Amino acid sequence: MKLSKKISISKILIYTFLILLAVVYIAPLLWMFSVSVKTNAEVFSSPFAIPEAIQWENFQIAWGIGKLNIAIVNSIIVCVATLVCSMLFGTMAAFAIGRMRWKLSGTVMTYFLLGMMVPVHCILIPLFVTFAKVQLNNSLLGIILPYITFSLPMTIFIMVGFFRNMPGELFESACMDGCSIYGCFFRIGLPLAKTGLFVTGLMTFVNNWNELLLAMVFISDVDKKTLPVTLTYFVGPYSTNYVQMFAAIVIAVIPTIIVYSIFSNQIVEGLTAGAVKG
Amino acid sequence: MEKLFRDKKAICLFIAPGGILFTIILLVPIAYAVYISLCEWNALTPPQFVGFANYIKLFTNDDIMKTAIKNSLFFTTFSLVTQQVIGLFLAVILSNLVKGKNLFKNIYYLPCVLSSAALGLLFSFLLNPKMGLNQILAIFGIQGPLWLMDAKGFIPLPMWVIGTVATWQYVGTTMMLYMAAIAGIPSSLYEASYIDGANKWQAFKNITMPLIKPMAKTTISLTCIGSLKFFDLIYNMTQGGPNHKTDVLATHLYNEGFQYFKYGYASAISVVLLAMCLFVTFIINRSIKVEDYEM
Repeated sequence: MKLSKKISISKILIYTFLILLAVVYIAPLLWMFSVSVKTNAEVFSSPFAIPEAIQWENFQIAWGIGKLNIAIVNSIIVCVATLVCSMLFGTMAAFAIGRMRWKLSGTVMTYFLLGMMVPVHCILIPLFVTFAKVQLNNSLLGIILPYITFSLPMTIFIMVGFFRNMPGELFESACMDGCSIYGCFFRIGLPLAKTGLFVTGLMTFVNNWNELLLAMVFISDVDKKTLPVTLTYFVGPYSTNYVQMFAAIVIAVIPTIIVYSIFSNQIVEGLTAGAVKG
Repeated sequence: MEKLFRDKKAICLFIAPGGILFTIILLVPIAYAVYISLCEWNALTPPQFVGFANYIKLFTNDDIMKTAIKNSLFFTTFSLVTQQVIGLFLAVILSNLVKGKNLFKNIYYLPCVLSSAALGLLFSFLLNPKMGLNQILAIFGIQGPLWLMDAKGFIPLPMWVIGTVATWQYVGTTMMLYMAAIAGIPSSLYEASYIDGANKWQAFKNITMPLIKPMAKTTISLTCIGSLKFFDLIYNMTQGGPNHKTDVLATHLYNEGFQYFKYGYASAISVVLLAMCLFVTFIINRSIKVEDYEM
């Protein structure tokens, strides 16, 4: 009797703490949504009140005048291209490292993982100068290439764990049936590593969708800017127009929230299966 | 079977795309950056080799660099401590939760997937001296501080504020990785320890802690490197101001390289940054010994 009471009190304490913390996380985001549908006058007089009338035109203005419509298309092109290439190249390399037998596999793995330690700032100037020479600056391809490169280490790190932990019998029986090494990769390896693909895919997408520094430096053409870069302009010339800035922020974060809510439950499973035992 | 998995041609084919990209986009530019850092180069005139002049200036005659290094080190220490403590604490609590585990986990991880640029704008507004948080404080008769503009003190208030916001945003990553590590521990180990009379704290200390050590190494490295190269939030919250008080290595590099176009000088900063990242990783790998356990 005494014990069960003690447990329930600690339970209440824990849940209270977790809910309070959840409020700290949700409140700023909810507030952001509420400001984005207010008028500027309302923001100054009562920023924390519930909006009197919903001003959808804030979104329309941010979308058109702020050039978010162009920015979002650019961001989608960049992210999808990066996602496809880095997933393909990354899983291929991870398969060779984790599953195949060769002497240098450890060295190659270390080589790729070094990429996790290199800050993107180090290659900013040399790459900018080189790309300017070969006409790759100011083009989306010029940021896609470094994005792929910087997404590879994480993909390889997680996927190697997956391929290593797969039961060898599956591949053996496939070989007996005359499956080639490429068949082993595409028909057995990849489908079995589905959770890992979700996690790495989500991380790659999110990181590149939000990347600011490289895109800011490499792209100067207004029609080729990505979303985070376009957002920073709302600080300058539009700075007094808070509602539009917030509408722009909302437009920028909604795609990631949608993608995240689809895949969020896979994250822990994916990381557990891959990284821990590997 | 054996032969198939030793196929040299297939291995080359699998490694080649990634390997080539890595070499061209990463390795060669790093070598180039080291060379540029030894030159005087302002983008218009051709580079001129000047030896270590940039580095000497960087460490003896640049007050902003001193602030930047101080702030970067503070920021790294702050993030490391808060993220390890809060992240591990949340991971342990959530892992033992029966109801609502996924809900809370998803809420705490949410800011990690949002754009730092967007969140930076959001918080710069919320921490505005006249609006936002200070308006709430004013209701209670409290004069709120200038959250992002106070320049006093060795570590000015804005750095603490930015550090807190960064912890708020990124602690979910640490939590998520630790949750994954804890989920990988077989529950039979805990059952056995409870039969032997261990309490929860003993089980945590003797089972959980040693088994999540490999993950601790990963999270510590990720946090340290992530904090050293931190840029987005600071750029969107203070732009290094007031008067360069909140400049970190990355913002200093950006200003020197792409506002004043001092390529050589900025490259020297980037080489220092790279050296710090490699050094930190080296120290972490040396100091945390990971034992292998059969599970």
